[in-house]
Amino acid sequence: MIESAVPSILSEDVRKLIPTSKILVVGAGGIGCEILKNLALSGFNDIEIIDLDTIDVSNLNRQFLFRKEHVGKSKAEVARESVLSYNPSISIKAYHDSVTSQEYGVNFFKRFKIVLNALDNRAARNHVNRMCLAADVPLIESGTAGYSGQVELIKKGVTQCYECQPKPPQKSFPGCTIRNTPSEPVHCIVWAKHLFNQLFGEDDPDQDVSPDTADPEAAGSAGLNALGTGNESGNVHRTSTRQWAQEIGYNAVKLFNKFFNDDIKYLLAMENLWKSRKAPTPLSWEVVASNEGDKEKSKIVNDNVRSVDMQVWPLHVCAEIFELTVGVLKDELNDKKFLIWDKDDKLALDFVTACANVRAHIFSIPQKSRFDIKSIAGNIIPAIATTNAMIAGLVVLISFRALAENYDQCQSIYLRQKSVHSNIILAPENLIEKANPKCYVCSEQPYVSVFVNVDTLTVKEFESEVLKKTLNMIAPDVILDGKGVFVISSEEGETEINNDKKLSELGIVDGSILKADDFLQNYNLTIGITQYVAEKDEPLFKIDSQNTELKPQENGKQNGSVDKPETKENDMEVDDGQDEVECVTDTVEEDPQEGTSSKRRKLNPPEDDDEDLIMLDDP
Amino acid sequence: MSSPAPKSPDQSDKSKKYDRQLRLWGDHGQKLLESSKICLINATALGTEILKSLVLPGIGAFTIVDGDKVSEEDIGSNFFLDEAHIGMSRAQAATECLLELNPDVRGDYIDDSPDHVMSQTQDFFSSFNVVIATALPEKVVMPLSRQLWAAGIPLLVCRSIGFLGYVRLQIKEHTVIEAHPDNESPDLRLDQPWEALRTHLNQIDVSTLGTKERSHVPALTVLYYYLQRFKEKHNGSLPKARVEKDELRDMIRSSLPGDCDMLEESYEQAVKLVNVCVHATQVPSYIRTLLDDEKCTNLTVESPSFWVICAALREMVQSEGVLPVRGSLPDMAADTSSFIALQQLYIKQAQNQAESVYRRAMQISRTLGQSPDVKLFCKHASELYVLRGNCISDEYQNSCPNVSLHLEDPESLMFYYVILRGLERFISEYNTYPGQFDDQVEPDVLKLKTLIGKLLTEWGCPAAVISDDRVHEVCRYGGAELHSVSAVLAGCTAHEVIKLITHQYKPINNTFIYDAITSTSATFVL
Repeated sequence: MIESAVPSILSEDVRKLIPTSKILVVGAGGIGCEILKNLALSGFNDIEIIDLDTIDVSNLNRQFLFRKEHVGKSKAEVARESVLSYNPSISIKAYHDSVTSQEYGVNFFKRFKIVLNALDNRAARNHVNRMCLAADVPLIESGTAGYSGQVELIKKGVTQCYECQPKPPQKSFPGCTIRNTPSEPVHCIVWAKHLFNQLFGEDDPDQDVSPDTADPEAAGSAGLNALGTGNESGNVHRTSTRQWAQEIGYNAVKLFNKFFNDDIKYLLAMENLWKSRKAPTPLSWEVVASNEGDKEKSKIVNDNVRSVDMQVWPLHVCAEIFELTVGVLKDELNDKKFLIWDKDDKLALDFVTACANVRAHIFSIPQKSRFDIKSIAGNIIPAIATTNAMIAGLVVLISFRALAENYDQCQSIYLRQKSVHSNIILAPENLIEKANPKCYVCSEQPYVSVFVNVDTLTVKEFESEVLKKTLNMIAPDVILDGKGVFVISSEEGETEINNDKKLSELGIVDGSILKADDFLQNYNLTIGITQYVAEKDEPLFKIDSQNTELKPQENGKQNGSVDKPETKENDMEVDDGQDEVECVTDTVEEDPQEGTSSKRRKLNPPEDDDEDLIMLDDP
Repeated sequence: MSSPAPKSPDQSDKSKKYDRQLRLWGDHGQKLLESSKICLINATALGTEILKSLVLPGIGAFTIVDGDKVSEEDIGSNFFLDEAHIGMSRAQAATECLLELNPDVRGDYIDDSPDHVMSQTQDFFSSFNVVIATALPEKVVMPLSRQLWAAGIPLLVCRSIGFLGYVRLQIKEHTVIEAHPDNESPDLRLDQPWEALRTHLNQIDVSTLGTKERSHVPALTVLYYYLQRFKEKHNGSLPKARVEKDELRDMIRSSLPGDCDMLEESYEQAVKLVNVCVHATQVPSYIRTLLDDEKCTNLTVESPSFWVICAALREMVQSEGVLPVRGSLPDMAADTSSFIALQQLYIKQAQNQAESVYRRAMQISRTLGQSPDVKLFCKHASELYVLRGNCISDEYQNSCPNVSLHLEDPESLMFYYVILRGLERFISEYNTYPGQFDDQVEPDVLKLKTLIGKLLTEWGCPAAVISDDRVHEVCRYGGAELHSVSAVLAGCTAHEVIKLITHQYKPINNTFIYDAITSTSATFVL
């Protein structure tokens, strides 16, 4: 249709291609909305958009296709309607769905001339990367964080893929740091989120909040032995936290005393933990309640509506809010199986703020305001309209070149608006970044070394933690090479019998080779197993994609400066798209944390649905 | 839904809606944004996109001045306009569409040409906080720039044509309190602690602490203690060179009794703090220059509060030799009470110094009023920044030595500036864009080349520096706006406007060129 809708100043070949090219936009968030607009005005006529997310109030400061009355509705569908209301002649198809769903296989991706990513999380980015490699469709990847952003072309055989460079690990904390020995505000916040899930959320054994008696550091604590079993906290251990909470009818006082008094006393009995650490101080409801004297001087000053958010609540306010939120959340739970923690849900956030601050007080850790806790708990990456507008403009301009297959003109572009003193706001790479020949995703014969303890790790844990969460497979089939043992099947019921077996029980030992195949991603990976026993505070397992000791860059630290775009920073891995995370970037605020725990649980704590990323240079 | 907890402070709708940006410029930045009035001249696609990126984050109000009617071309490049708008006032159509984006923003329009508005109402444009002009011909830019220069109102002149973008910021003087420097080291004053801090720190003999107490003591206290020991050993001088700093680090590391194999967290942090925190406290030279600025030393009744506070700050620096302490501590392992005691000392000192600056400021100017800015000002005293620009009308009338200098660099985007200036002259002379009519492209190329040649001669540059291909390319655009190019340029421009309004971050100085063919940009001072 309407070639007249295509801007006449584009080159003739691009002008011809535009009206007939089918385009997929993955993500209808900050960048996605802008991309849709730019596509529409460039004469693209056949667009599909997919996004699982629904619209939140905090999207409205930049996702211009959405209005207040759309809150709660599908982003993809509202974005479609909104674009059509201005440009009724275009064809747009919307999917309110996850792009990682099995319905969108390689054949789905093959239908598109170009795929444009506007995502907010690494898992989905990895997945779309693999789908586009498998379908051999050019992918334009983009992301923003605060004032920074990035656009990058990924094309099989031409450029590197999204996974060619190891990304800095996502923040996670050893389980015993969270449960026994927090030392930073973030540890208390993670614990408080886990507590929310234990009491109201979906059951997750990785999110235990009670003292971890298997902490190797606590071994041999005389006091612990003295306590013996059968004490008050001991029996709580046996029933689940949720069950116990239900039995006592979510009595806030009892809950408070268990988590902040009894459990802390129990921790104190693990004397070894406190030999070189400041010991925690148990805090009972009665003590908080009797501290009337403090109440007067420590009121929240209500001088300015918004700055209330910035104040640190006094302890008695935390206790009151604990009581109030437990009461309301309990009622909400009545109608549902479980609640989902959401940083934008005020009650849930208040609960976490109160609990994190009480725990911080107990462990002599600085307390934080609700505003700050929201940022840490929700891994919020700041997002503004201006950066998204620039990045989405660049995405569509690059897509013109990609359409014409002028790939040599599709260098990655970095936006560094903040570093204005360098006089460079847009910094393109000089050259296309070539694929890493050892990449465990896009190389000819993908291979990865995995270091695990084959005697303790179960097949199920291997599947969920290693294959799915770390290697980002969706539905892997795994065979033990040479032996023909079927370890994991993507078909339901076929290999469930293996779930609780240790790897070694299936004959997987040091030196074993596994062949993993993800049918959906059309991805075959050879996995070399190396036996590895984690020390305290070491990750539970490690992967090495380069066959060298894996050294992902320290997150943070100085990444290349803007002045030298030729030094590829894979820290900028960017995101945006949906909501929170429109972004990319490189520096993590907190120190990098160990990937996993010394005990067998891998925690991925402040990692939410949204982000993985980490800030560039924004606070 | 159940009613929210009565005691838990409510989040306002606005703080929810603006949450993701408040994390960048804060409540105070948002407040300034919400009280700002922005004027857009010409609702082109570029202009509309700029305003869109300002309406979404919530400016107070905007006014669009545009005498044109919506045309076919507008529909092709402006997302918000469709067939139904053709023939309607472009100012009105754009205003109505933009207002839908954010109910908290007010907007109106004037369906009249900017030059007519200027001639009718003398100071019309001076009533805004920022004026943005797109596709405005040189002959209107010139008087407008002079008027706004005199009024001290920032003006951004923008143009998006084909694959080319241009933004010129004209601002007489712009002051920035929060420049948000990329890396900022803690301001701890360990080399010259004020009395209360000294007394507090001297009370603690770190060397005699037991295992347990060592785990409670803040890193800062440890660092101070060993810094004193170092100074005793070295005639009171601070460690400067790396070797000396290493010596101090070793003193901290080796301080633990033999029975302890693990370094306490606070000791470890103290070791890390050596590099960034142990140095002589000084007033940075750029701040000295600023405090010696004529604006600071010769206040008038009209002096804005920034300069009044600067003058007060100057007095304080003269009497105390240092800037006010920032008043914040880095996070450190310590028990709450020790940490809070220390933190309170810094907060208190920052407060005292801010009060002292405030008192001085009040003495200097009684009209300052209850300015809450003093605290913020003192907190950021080491990052204060002043930008002084020049008037566009002067730039257009004089030859700028920077042009020929940059033209010598074959990589420089300066040639686009030259072409754009030629383009402006073309529009003034012929009232169309070069290449706007298909049958006129070749003659227009010649005309434009002649105009560019004349400009280059005026500036004393060789005419050959601008290749014919580039002139051809610009004529090929025929004045058309490519939406995605405008989108990039608009995001950039809107962001500059936000910097100006919030007085945070340093704005571009002063000409920004964007080349969408190579995805490069450059900034020049002209």
